[in-house]
Amino acid sequence: MKLYTAKSENVSGKPVVLDDTILTKDMPTAAGSKMLDGYMSLFDAEIISKLKDAGFGICGKANVGEMAIDLLGETSYYGECTDESGKLVGASAEIVKNGEAVAAISMDVCGSSARAAAMSGLVYIKPTYGTVSRFGTIPAACSGECVAVSAKTASECREVLSAIAGHDDKDGTSLPEDKCALLKADAPRSEIKKIAIAKALVDSASDEVKALIESFKANADGVEFAPIDANELTYAQAAWNILMSAEVCNNVSKYDGVKYGYRAAEFSNIDELYTNSRTEAFGYLLKSTILFGSETLSEDNYMKVYDKALRVRRVIVEYFDKLFADFDAVLMPVSSKTAYTKADTDANTYIAYDESIYTAPASITGLPRAVVGGVQLVGKAFSENSLLDLATKVRKEGK
Amino acid sequence: MDREILRRLESLNQLRLTEEEKEKVLSFFEMQDKEITRLGDIDTEKVERMVHVMPMNNVIREDVVNKVFTRDELQAAAPEAYDGYWQVPRLVE
Repeated sequence: MKLYTAKSENVSGKPVVLDDTILTKDMPTAAGSKMLDGYMSLFDAEIISKLKDAGFGICGKANVGEMAIDLLGETSYYGECTDESGKLVGASAEIVKNGEAVAAISMDVCGSSARAAAMSGLVYIKPTYGTVSRFGTIPAACSGECVAVSAKTASECREVLSAIAGHDDKDGTSLPEDKCALLKADAPRSEIKKIAIAKALVDSASDEVKALIESFKANADGVEFAPIDANELTYAQAAWNILMSAEVCNNVSKYDGVKYGYRAAEFSNIDELYTNSRTEAFGYLLKSTILFGSETLSEDNYMKVYDKALRVRRVIVEYFDKLFADFDAVLMPVSSKTAYTKADTDANTYIAYDESIYTAPASITGLPRAVVGGVQLVGKAFSENSLLDLATKVRKEGK
Repeated sequence: MDREILRRLESLNQLRLTEEEKEKVLSFFEMQDKEITRLGDIDTEKVERMVHVMPMNNVIREDVVNKVFTRDELQAAAPEAYDGYWQVPRLVE
């Protein structure tokens, strides 16, 4: 088991661990792929200077699944991570759980880091799309992926999120400063009073997950809960899987073994150099995602599949808009089970695609998600502080 | 999805699958096909596409050079470089 892919010897400030999808000048960045094994970036991600300015230090890089699109890091070139009971764990979440870092910073592409936080009993926040710079992160699915934070407490999550939120001219999708400022710890916020429970998603989860939902409700004093059918949200899964795969296909097309990254030892012409390098360096899930993404963008399928998914994205966004007229947030599972083992991912190599039924609604809409007590709360855009306030209440922090 | 389409996709994406991987990918495509068919339940004829989830404006900055990497820095990560060039197999016989 390899939790760290690189470790910093001298950490100045409160230690934060970065997933290995975030570029660092002084440590290699591989995004869990043989393709980028040993790759040294010429620059740091934007969030690193923000973290340092706020008194945090980078203690190391954590093992991730290839391009962070899998279930719980099981596709990493460096191997999956498990705890002593054989349960799959996210490396950075486990590092925080072990007390070696106060927080972990991850790329939330398909919810892998959100699941990891749930499995390790952490609090997690994926902010509203565009509020934290993605400059210097390895891109996979740019239209939905976000930099996210996990920590043992909601207050630590808030402190780190407050430090990294902000406009960045170098990120073309970065929102204006007045929007990003809504994530700062001292920004005004409203209280979450009424929560919808997404029945279609809760019903499909295991009894253990249903118990976590009940436990969340029991601990959210003064909050009103109301079940809603939410069948519409189940369509987010297919739509996000299509958009994510198409974007991953495009984003990894640059890895060809020429300018940087892995180059195959055997080739007799340029085509073989490309094909052998990519074939030898990419894992099964990434290859499948590339092929599926490529197919959705083909002339025959573009309108029927890719274009359809873009329209369904709007349907989901509008569905949330309507819900938020009556509710402050939506409660749903973050995974179908409370634990996974290698046997689960071996039996179903595409389990991440199945499990995205729970994580796709927030990914495809860019809405913030918080994970607390092993379940997920999706909130209105820029409601991060409200979500974390509720997490504080549910966890009885400070009491 | 059939093997012929899969062969075309492999070629387009500069990938080569083993026989075992091909079987897996074909079943994966079948699974995704079912999900895609299910999206047909939603009438999107009058719905506009949504590419960006947040309102986006063009990002404009002053036309000032603010950071330049040298050729040596850029080629430090190259699998093979020679005399300031990235090295690849002969392209023209």
